[in-house]
Amino acid sequence: MSVTALPQAKTDAHYKVADVAGYTGVPYQTKVGLFEQVKEDIRFGDYLYGCYECGICVGVCPSAKFYDFSPRRIAQAAAREDVELIYQQMQEDIWECSQCFSCLRCPRGNNPGGLITIMREVAVRNGLASAKEALVGYSRIIYKIMSTGTQVSPDMLRPDAFPDWGPETADVADNLDLWRRALPPETMHTTSTGWSVADRTLIELYLIWFETGALDMIAQVDPGLHSILQELMEDRLEEEGIEL
Amino acid sequence: MTIPIRAPVDARRRVVSAAEPVVDRRSLEDPRAELLELERQGELIVQKIDREAISVATKYGREKRIQKAHLWHHKSCGQCGHIPGYSTSIFWVMRTLGYDYHDPHDQTSCTAWNYYASATSNTAAQAAVAVRNFAAAYETGYFPLIHCGTSYGHYKEVREQLIRHPELREQVRKIMAKLGKPLVLPEEIVHYSEWFHALRHEIAAKQVRDVSGIVVTVHPACHYYKIVSGDAIYDPDIYGGQRTAVVTGLAEALGAEVRNYSTWFDCCGFGFRHILVQRDFTRSFATLRKIEVMKEEADPDVVLTHDTGCVTTLDKSQFAARAQGRNVGLAVLSEAQFAALAMGAHPYRVCQLHWHSADYRPLLEKMGIDWEKAWAEFQGDLRRLESGEKPYLDWEDANGAHDNERPQVAPARHEDDD
Amino acid sequence: MSSETVVVIGGGPGGLRAAQSIAEIGGTAVLIEQREFLGGTPVAENYCGLTPRGEPAQPQIRQMIDLVTANPLTEVRLGTEIAGVAGGPGAFTLTLRRAEKAETEMDGDETIECGAIIIATGFGHFDPGRATQMYGYYEFPDVITQPDLEAMLSEGRVFRPSNGQPPEWICFVQCVGSRDRQIGNEYCSKVCCGVASKEAIEIRELLPGSKVLIFYIDMRMYGYWENEIYWPAQEQHHVQYVKGLITEVLPKGDRLLVRGEDTTMGRPMEILMDLVVLSVGMEPSQGTRELAKLLGVKQNKYGFIEAVAKPLDPVSTDREGIFACGAALGPADLEDTVSSASAAAVKAVSYLRSRPVATPK
Repeated sequence: MSVTALPQAKTDAHYKVADVAGYTGVPYQTKVGLFEQVKEDIRFGDYLYGCYECGICVGVCPSAKFYDFSPRRIAQAAAREDVELIYQQMQEDIWECSQCFSCLRCPRGNNPGGLITIMREVAVRNGLASAKEALVGYSRIIYKIMSTGTQVSPDMLRPDAFPDWGPETADVADNLDLWRRALPPETMHTTSTGWSVADRTLIELYLIWFETGALDMIAQVDPGLHSILQELMEDRLEEEGIEL
Repeated sequence: MTIPIRAPVDARRRVVSAAEPVVDRRSLEDPRAELLELERQGELIVQKIDREAISVATKYGREKRIQKAHLWHHKSCGQCGHIPGYSTSIFWVMRTLGYDYHDPHDQTSCTAWNYYASATSNTAAQAAVAVRNFAAAYETGYFPLIHCGTSYGHYKEVREQLIRHPELREQVRKIMAKLGKPLVLPEEIVHYSEWFHALRHEIAAKQVRDVSGIVVTVHPACHYYKIVSGDAIYDPDIYGGQRTAVVTGLAEALGAEVRNYSTWFDCCGFGFRHILVQRDFTRSFATLRKIEVMKEEADPDVVLTHDTGCVTTLDKSQFAARAQGRNVGLAVLSEAQFAALAMGAHPYRVCQLHWHSADYRPLLEKMGIDWEKAWAEFQGDLRRLESGEKPYLDWEDANGAHDNERPQVAPARHEDDD
Repeated sequence: MSSETVVVIGGGPGGLRAAQSIAEIGGTAVLIEQREFLGGTPVAENYCGLTPRGEPAQPQIRQMIDLVTANPLTEVRLGTEIAGVAGGPGAFTLTLRRAEKAETEMDGDETIECGAIIIATGFGHFDPGRATQMYGYYEFPDVITQPDLEAMLSEGRVFRPSNGQPPEWICFVQCVGSRDRQIGNEYCSKVCCGVASKEAIEIRELLPGSKVLIFYIDMRMYGYWENEIYWPAQEQHHVQYVKGLITEVLPKGDRLLVRGEDTTMGRPMEILMDLVVLSVGMEPSQGTRELAKLLGVKQNKYGFIEAVAKPLDPVSTDREGIFACGAALGPADLEDTVSSASAAAVKAVSYLRSRPVATPK
């Protein structure tokens, strides 16, 4: 081996290097910027203190039993500010978390699941590939929750959507209208929403989405859905004479 | 010398609580006190419990009060959408015990689907949605009762964020002002299973069906007791105060036999987005870590739980797993539905069990419920709705008020029968 | 008389050594003890062997007691507690009262005068029912604490409370009630790593077929504990140390399943155990808390007595004439306790001797 081929000594050996983490095509500053967004979040200081590396969070984590996933590595990477590893986690690991918050058993008071919530939001806002992939086929669900203020409506129970849930799903779909009318609670005689939501309530909800920027979060991952929802909500608010 | 293994539970707890330690807890020690202090400073309004309430103990000994009547039902989108017998049973039990309530149209979901599942929301939106719902309750004067475990856990976290961050309060206050609403939070965030726990003896007093031969396993919802873990019900007489008392307390009060299993604290595997778009995870987890373990170690007749996602996951994951030859086939009910059945509720008109996937009929048979007759009655209701005789089933119908007025319709077989 | 009298409150190792030291330098000590016996926590909680070398605890404590009771310059009051304090530095008046449930003869309250006070009221063990992790101490008989195990070792046998049989698989869980933000005991209780390792060695000697594991966050092996206990535990006694703290204990069959992550191997672990020993931490005792309030002495945020001038003066409180020693100040092992006890004794007596003598009116 010639002298010129000797490897460089690394001074930051405890950080993950780009060619191991992958994503060498993404500029380092981009990765730094994404982590800065995570750190700036109002919740970050509530979710990350020191880390004992004790593994309690992994011991209770359901995703750790199924995936190569570790809430401990999420907390440790954030504490060490290992930007390459964090970027890799944002592209690969964070969608495996089941958001159960068993990891809140941490004796230091860390919240790895909460850190992941922030990382996911940053991934969605910035249109990262992992976010787009994770939300493929999710448009209908986002549309339902943002436009009606409810989710998992009765009319979503269809055998083509849930073939693995059993034949009762087909029974529900075949009898939907009748079975919904056979519910004693007065608010639940609905099929496209779980209960009947007052008009005024929806207006208030749309205002909340606009005022908090929640709607704009999906502009990158699903521009089509974003414009549909924006138009729908703007029209409705305009009808009520509400200026944004 | 005799081996002193440990002092009696009560004696030790008295010593601990008398000690009054000065502590610095991450999880707010007394959220109620924090809210009242903020109200004193003019930062927000606290909706008070203003009627008869039952006191319960939470994990570190803080007293929590559960208002008995005049409650505003914050419904669960998943329950109302897919497991309507769950919501119906909650209302039915409350009606049967004689407590008034309000079932609002002016309510949105907590929108945790946007937050935990897809991360297409943010802190301010979630807080504003929560406060909007609380303000809607406040306007009616009815005290909020939260149906879903995730809504409950999420709102506990929202409360903590609003207490800690004045800038968030300011942002939400401004948005509420635009809606003509105050920044208001209830003095306690109460889950319906806490109400069922507090009233379990009243429920048992109205019991008409014997469940002493029924073996139950309990699955506690992660979002109920793991988020803001200090604010969850614990009772020294139930699990020695070492595990949360809800659901188990009710099952025991009804006389059922509650059995242990070695994955009690495990999540069900709902995962939020996983149950929709990564179902192999949910299905595998529910089957391998919960249902199979329960069957092998406890051999129960039913698993009781107290959250929408948990009922959905455990109930719906068994069909595909059966096709894989796994050891499944276990009825899944909310404790609300189980309590309703014990109090004599109709399995279809009230508990709406036809929406469930896992077979519940062996459980009903063991409880002495003639489900064939019940199904025939329900079919009769459906024929009446179809004929246009009435638009909807009402609460009187649900209690069989009109059963003797009509000829019995021939029983229509349940689709799944073979 | 009162100008040379130091009242020592608490008759555990700290109070005993303080009283003895006061007498050795010619002062007068009155030792007030709430219980009907001397020796404090090591006697009340049946300590078997001292850490690290495992020499029998009870004879050592007995020796400390004898040095005090045999000394003409010390007076011992058992079954007695402090009901009130009046006066000031150099001239305190303490009201004594019979302790609740004590059988000591006492007609009503008494008063005693002294020039200085030493608080030696020690610690109490953390109640494992309050732990953040799910250990089920009040549910499962086979989940015990270090003091419960000391009681067993004192009888010369280790057994499963559920069936009386000797266990094969035993584990220790460290940091129970310590180093935890959620409970509020953010500190390290200092002795539990050494004690667990000592107990692990004792179990391995009593039950040669047993498998003993210690689950930890960090192993606190200060100074000579490293070579006197940690290395022998691993090398001679094959105690297994696993970095990964147990978070749940659940019943499986007639055994216990413990769950955590084996962090250095990077995988979740679930292991069946016969006996689970919780290494419970130290908290200020009931006596320490009550006395602090009664005497108006500053406590730190955890309720221990605050040594206001540490590290160079580890025994002075914020009240002149009142000193503290031992575990009333915070987690302490026996060496810490006897050291601070002698330091407090010297400080108290020299304080008295430096004050002007009171002239009779």
